[in-house]
Amino acid sequence: MAQAAVRMDEPDLIRAAQQGDQRAFEQLVRLHDQNVLRLALNMLRSPEDAHDIYQEAFLRVYKNLHTFRFDCSFHTWLYRIVTNLCLDALRKRKVRREENTVVETSDGPLDRLDTLEEARPDGNPERRLSSRQVGKKIQECLAELTPRERAVFEMRHYQGLRLRAIGEILGTSEEAAKNCLFRATQKMRAALGDFV
Amino acid sequence: MKCDEAKKTMPLFLYGELSFEEEERLETHIDECADCRAALARDKALFKSMDAAETAPSQELLEQCRADLHLRLAHAQPEHAGFWNKLRDGFTVRFHFAGFAQPLGAVAMLILGFAAARMTPGSLLGPWQTAGVAEPATSQVRYVESGAPGQVRIVVDETRQRVLSGRVDDQAIQRLLLTAAKDSSDPGLRVESVDLLKNRSQSAEVRQALLYALQHDSNAGVRLKALDGLKDFADDPETRKTLTQVLLKDDNPGVRTQVIDLLIPHRSNAMVGALQELMMKEDNDYIRMRCQKALHEMNASVETY
Repeated sequence: MAQAAVRMDEPDLIRAAQQGDQRAFEQLVRLHDQNVLRLALNMLRSPEDAHDIYQEAFLRVYKNLHTFRFDCSFHTWLYRIVTNLCLDALRKRKVRREENTVVETSDGPLDRLDTLEEARPDGNPERRLSSRQVGKKIQECLAELTPRERAVFEMRHYQGLRLRAIGEILGTSEEAAKNCLFRATQKMRAALGDFV
Repeated sequence: MKCDEAKKTMPLFLYGELSFEEEERLETHIDECADCRAALARDKALFKSMDAAETAPSQELLEQCRADLHLRLAHAQPEHAGFWNKLRDGFTVRFHFAGFAQPLGAVAMLILGFAAARMTPGSLLGPWQTAGVAEPATSQVRYVESGAPGQVRIVVDETRQRVLSGRVDDQAIQRLLLTAAKDSSDPGLRVESVDLLKNRSQSAEVRQALLYALQHDSNAGVRLKALDGLKDFADDPETRKTLTQVLLKDDNPGVRTQVIDLLIPHRSNAMVGALQELMMKEDNDYIRMRCQKALHEMNASVETY
């Protein structure tokens, strides 16, 4: 059964899952879950919140998969659920104000700014300071974007989705998504102009 | 194109979101304008810096999310699925074009239900009627064969479920949990069983089951639970031997990390050798760092000669 599921393509997995095949559903989850988790983590900047969004999003998909009629791509349908949850979380929990660059890891607290890639790995202290400052400014700037600007920016810059697809996910036009991205990049440019 | 417009469209240009004509106009302008060339170079540098700010989820977080989802799915139900879904869809399609037909569909379903109840043999319904909350029964049609005209022979598998309650340290309960911990078809069942057993690792039989799960279970969530149960036996020679083997062969970074945590406090030559061997083939930066740190703390060489 599991081996049969491995050979299935996405539409077959969706149909099997719609008939109550949990293995097929989990195969379907695995096609998308890394990107879902990455999106949630980058939008909310908290592994715990990203974990919660992952659970809630896929449970909603599981419970409502029978309503999926293949009239849009499954990816779009899934991302609509995920981004709505992330936007709600950003609005309700006021993550923008609680933003912290320090995350808990299994090896203790880790400042994400320390993990930023060096522009030149020559160990030049001035250069390292500059890179660190840029990283800090980026985090501050991301925290200042509106939830919607942030969603568009994350999906375009980090997930590589086209603006047309982003518009479809957010239930808006490509033009509106483009304006949103434009505002986000303008803010980033204004905040980071002196650092790059 | 003016400089203002050029600068406005640069981010969209870098994202590849401009039309062919818009790109042409921008490139023509940039060729002629040194200021805008410099601005584009700055935007490129900005994008590169932003690339570096992305946070990638750890494999451990991903595995945890998957294991938790698996458990939650076991208790979740789709809003409706399977037979009833199909039946409803069938009626939906059939009466879709006639507004008046929906009440008719409802009446048809009532008649269908009434007829089915009247015509189904009592022997098939028997277990369903007698099964209480504590003893639900399930039936599955295994085989259907047509016989004489108008006749059919159906073979039905019936499974009667029993609910057993008791203390985890009860021998009978523990035996069932040990069996469930090896159930190859359901990782969720194994995770829950191993989770219950892990606090009973003072029993040699349970410990053996945990060691078996750690070595052979295909699900990382189960292996992590088994490791949790073995933490009080990290200085036991048999456990250490298994941990060392797992460290070198397990494909899950979360499991390998936790094994290192258990091994490090009890130094042995075999463990130092295993860490050195791991350093030669490990591709996970975090684990390499942990390994290197542990070897340094033990004044052992990071490499083998």
